[in-house]
Amino acid sequence: MKIFNRGFTLVEILVVCGVSAIFLGVAIMLFTNFRQGYSRSESVAVLMQESALFLARLRTDMNNAVLSGPQGGIENQIQATPEQLRLNVYSSGQGRILPVIYRYVAAGSGGSIIRKEAEGGEKVLIKNHVASLAWQMQLERFATAGSGTFRIGVAVAMQLKTATGNEKPFAIKTCVFPARLNRQLNTP
Amino acid sequence: MNKQRYGLSLVEIVLSMGILAMIMLPVFMTFSSGNTNIQVTEGEFRAHTAALELMEQIISLPFNLIRPGSYAPAQIIDGGAFAGGPVLFRLTSDPDLKHSLKIEEVKRDNKILFKKITVTVAYPSARASDRLREFTLKTLVANENI
Repeated sequence: MKIFNRGFTLVEILVVCGVSAIFLGVAIMLFTNFRQGYSRSESVAVLMQESALFLARLRTDMNNAVLSGPQGGIENQIQATPEQLRLNVYSSGQGRILPVIYRYVAAGSGGSIIRKEAEGGEKVLIKNHVASLAWQMQLERFATAGSGTFRIGVAVAMQLKTATGNEKPFAIKTCVFPARLNRQLNTP
Repeated sequence: MNKQRYGLSLVEIVLSMGILAMIMLPVFMTFSSGNTNIQVTEGEFRAHTAALELMEQIISLPFNLIRPGSYAPAQIIDGGAFAGGPVLFRLTSDPDLKHSLKIEEVKRDNKILFKKITVTVAYPSARASDRLREFTLKTLVANENI
């Protein structure tokens, strides 16, 4: 018996096309999901990095902040308004006390946080990614021996959004307690 | 029997596609593990921020007020008393995070030279997951009174 098999039958081709379509469909779906997930994760990673840099900068400035005068006047020396946070910082580079101002410039498409040091130029810490920002100075006084114990901090609550704005905003809420400054504040 | 074949059979093609699928599966799993790692990093970032917040508020206190002891997550709540008061905990982090705190004295010649602060924050390993990971932060506070 001779068998001449010169190619595929129509049924074979249709079945193979069907199986291929299913396989490719699943592969494309997986890849698309991965691309979306990767894009989202990459955006979140960038926002995390920006918020970490901003908080680190603020923490350093708060630790180097200089308070003068009686303890009752602390509120006036670190001033926090919705638009700006102002404090006096000792600059080891210049060997003097300089005013440092953090400004929040709100915008519909995404606000920015800008740091300005004395006469120096402005540095944009977060550009066009801030959906909302609230900072508030907190001064606590605990009834301990003597004149009590003070603890100063700046509470920060912000939401960052990606350039496209399609993703869920990245929210971070924390309070920065400058340890060096607080310990100095409570030194007898 | 003279059997001549000019093409592949259906079984051969389906089998080869099955093998191809098995090869591609680890590739796609690699992609998804990359995304999972970034999610873990986000959790770790939140845990780090929360740990730093707790650590800083403790080391901000005068040395004698940093009293040794261990604090379980149930004791570390916003507004809760630290070391029996009057100092209070201030926590703004999210409820998914579980804090624990340990303060030990480091002595030499019966003098307390340092206090060792260990803050541990447990956080979910993925969104809506029951599995927890831990982030630990340690520091020493020097006794400025000696």
